[in-house]
Amino acid sequence: MGVRGFLQLVVTQAIMLRRNTGFWISSIMMAVLSMAVFGWLFNPDTQPFDLALVDEDHSQASRTLMEAFQGIDSVETREGSRDGELASLQDGDLGAVVIVPVGFADDLGSGSATLPVYYDNSNPVRIGYVTTTVDAVVDSYNDQVVGQTSAVTVQQQAISTKNVRFIDFLTPGMVGMTIMWVNLGVGFMLVSWREQGILRRLGVTPLRPGALILSQAMGYSLVSLMQVLIVLTMGRLVFDVSINGSYLWLAVTALLGVAAMLFIGYAIGSLLRSVTSVNAVLNLVAFPMIFLGRSYFPLETPPALAPLVNAIPLTHLNDALREVVNQGGGLGDLWLSWLILAAWAAGGFALSMRLFRWQ
Amino acid sequence: MPFAAETPRPATQVAPRTPPAGETGEPVLPRADVVLAIEALTKRYGSLVAVDGISFEVRRGETFGILGPNGAGKTTTLEMIEGLRKPDAGRITLLSLDAVRRRRAVQDRIGVQLQSQALWPELTVEETLKTFRALFKKRVSLETLLERFTLTEKRRSLVRDLSGGQKQRLSVATALVNDPEVVFLDEPTTGLDPQARRSFWDLIHDMSGEGKTVIVTTHYMEEAEALCERVAIMDRGRIMAMDSPRELVRGLDFDNTVECTFAGAVERERLLALPAVRDVKKENGAHFLFTNDVSATLAGLMGLTDGGGERVQSLQVRTATLEDVFISLTGRRLRD
Repeated sequence: MGVRGFLQLVVTQAIMLRRNTGFWISSIMMAVLSMAVFGWLFNPDTQPFDLALVDEDHSQASRTLMEAFQGIDSVETREGSRDGELASLQDGDLGAVVIVPVGFADDLGSGSATLPVYYDNSNPVRIGYVTTTVDAVVDSYNDQVVGQTSAVTVQQQAISTKNVRFIDFLTPGMVGMTIMWVNLGVGFMLVSWREQGILRRLGVTPLRPGALILSQAMGYSLVSLMQVLIVLTMGRLVFDVSINGSYLWLAVTALLGVAAMLFIGYAIGSLLRSVTSVNAVLNLVAFPMIFLGRSYFPLETPPALAPLVNAIPLTHLNDALREVVNQGGGLGDLWLSWLILAAWAAGGFALSMRLFRWQ
Repeated sequence: MPFAAETPRPATQVAPRTPPAGETGEPVLPRADVVLAIEALTKRYGSLVAVDGISFEVRRGETFGILGPNGAGKTTTLEMIEGLRKPDAGRITLLSLDAVRRRRAVQDRIGVQLQSQALWPELTVEETLKTFRALFKKRVSLETLLERFTLTEKRRSLVRDLSGGQKQRLSVATALVNDPEVVFLDEPTTGLDPQARRSFWDLIHDMSGEGKTVIVTTHYMEEAEALCERVAIMDRGRIMAMDSPRELVRGLDFDNTVECTFAGAVERERLLALPAVRDVKKENGAHFLFTNDVSATLAGLMGLTDGGGERVQSLQVRTATLEDVFISLTGRRLRD
């Protein structure tokens, strides 16, 4: 079969997938609905933030102010050094850092002291929450402890951080999940082709299994890239999720994810005989992956599960997508995830070729 | 070679008349004329021998039928020839190539219609044909195919919206996209209504008219009689007899079959003793009397009235057909 013949098969495969609207719409709907729910209705970003306190004055006055902050119920506080906590803030681990500078007690004695507050500038919702909380604490301190309304003034310092909003974190995860759903679905298609006798029909033509599998892979890649584009465009237009990294790296990551998921699905489809069993097995594979692979939530991995989590392809697909979309990462940050995805793809392809049968 | 029972087991009981060797004076076939040669082909599934050492040859341009009941091994035989299954033993030479080792080279030059119409429901007629065309070196033009199978008006319709007959035509069209030299049709008319079956026969006649070799399996003896120049009768993995339908029927030592049922039990010996009866078979309560003088046999049958159990309940007389050849060879009907 020549190149033209092969391309015809790719086009055929893409046409069939596109016409199978129920399949590709439903796989993308899950991502779209999740983004809508977490982007609008239930926004985890309004949850309590972490506040770091740095006491450089070590006076009675600064101690009292510290305790006032520690008394807020809805905020987690901790104490540390200026450099350490500001670095933490940069990394996006904190909502704000309050610093009581040297000489605070003296300034207060002479009537007016300033209190620098550094806060994370990346999240507009949280900025409001942080500033009102800090202002409230300082106001009541002025009122009750000093008895003078403008004794301490807050000096706000916005810091641009790499802090990621939940929707920023979620969007690449949803891209990864969509890639997984659609491409694992090839296993379902393979089994139903076998059940309908379509594979037998192709088996009496000169078509080689490798050419069939690769043409399907390319057809799926085309459809998958379209879906990635749809999810990311929605993230950009509706939720202002920006893509910080290179589009090329994004495409490479997505294609490696497609290949890994597709050949895993193909291997599963080659192992199983009935449509119902392949459905059950695909769900059994997909659902744990969504959670262990952190498509939705940045869960801490229990040490016992770490080897599993680090082995599954969705973890690395999500990691690499977040690296590109959120962090603007380059080759140095991506190569390991790419390597693991490529290993899954190669293993799945080899297994699929070995197990392939026309009937 | 008429009536070459190609198996070690001889056709038992009512053996067709075999002319002495050399009597027909048929010339030895030149090899170039043989499109398909099967030698001692065998396929086992566990302990079941699905195809049991069969041999036959098909000549260029011939329409060759394999007739037999379900489970006779017809489909397995075709699947081995088409390259879907590996034989356990034996040799298949198709278009002068070893069909097992040169599988893809052979597949490039044959056309196959399987039992199930394996078409993608979400493609259009045109896309389906384009896809199948892409798989072969030699290609018939799309317009020719559409026109020939009267699908031009349906070219942009999805396969799932086609009628049964249109799907059938498309399915045959996919088997002809590469202008094959040999066409294999596995039970092509099973499940079709009589009218659709007849128009399908016309399609096969057309292929044959173009010089294509057609190999068709069927369990309809009318179909084998209507289409095939030669028929191999297959049962339990073996070829029981092989010749033109006319010669097969002529080879029987009777001309007619009387099929009857009785009110009670009648001993076989008494039926065998009736005038002109050559043999008697019993299946599903019906007796088959093979006779070469219908009126004498019927008169004798009506005379069997001493007991009461001999009362004839149903009676059917017919000219011997391929069905009778099968019954006389196996003691069973083609279809149960």
